[in-house]
Amino acid sequence: MSLQVFFLLAFGGAAVWFGIVVFLTHSMVRSALALLFSQTAIGAMFLVMQAEFLGVLQIMMMATEMSIMAIFMVMFMMDPGGLGEMDMKHQRKTSLAAGLVAFFGALAVAVFADWGPLATDIPDAGEQVRLLGFELLGRSMLIFESAGLTILTAMIAATALAVQARERGAKA
Amino acid sequence: MSMELIVALSMAAALFGTGVYGALSQTNLVMIMMGIELILAAALINMVAFWRYLHPEAMEAQMFVLIVMTVMAVEMAVGFGVAIARFRSRGSVEMEEAQELKG
Repeated sequence: MSLQVFFLLAFGGAAVWFGIVVFLTHSMVRSALALLFSQTAIGAMFLVMQAEFLGVLQIMMMATEMSIMAIFMVMFMMDPGGLGEMDMKHQRKTSLAAGLVAFFGALAVAVFADWGPLATDIPDAGEQVRLLGFELLGRSMLIFESAGLTILTAMIAATALAVQARERGAKA
Repeated sequence: MSMELIVALSMAAALFGTGVYGALSQTNLVMIMMGIELILAAALINMVAFWRYLHPEAMEAQMFVLIVMTVMAVEMAVGFGVAIARFRSRGSVEMEEAQELKG
């Protein structure tokens, strides 16, 4: 077993385990933290796969995103600490069956597909960033700009949703 | 057969299955969003693995990863916007209590 396979298994296993913990715990804050650890393990997988820029970006972005999620959990939940052990699940059997079908379907494709030979030559971290910069500000610039515009639209939509709800409440 | 690629794709498959289970089984809007985050994270692992082990010269793959990260951020922003609107009007983000949304 190569070192890369070992670390992929270790970080991948951690990501999956923390992903499962998200839905096992009764505490919402613990769920958000488990998701943070899962996403961080995924960032570590990126680093193992020598995508250094994306790995660091994933870890930094998800740390911020999950912290915000934890705050929302405390705001919106009646029992954010999970002390009352509230049950927040429904259609368990259908969900479990769907999850298993999704897992085994994707696994079958991963194992049985013919992926061809493995690439050996890979640009180093600095060269990757340089090439990605040329890609983003060259051929893919329109797509990249569209992503920025989409985020702006989402920010306006989210703010409009929240503000309108408050005004409706005030009138009523 | 490329062991590294298969291990990475298998881990992504497990995360995808977990995300599907979470998105379908949870009654709380924020927890459903967590399930969707896991599904998108599985897609990210697949894209990085395909880039690294099949076509490391194609930087479009990394660009796609950035786009999916954008989708994750947008999903969170709009999802929380909906959650705030729902919480202010109904006092809860429990989807069991959102039966009126049924078509």
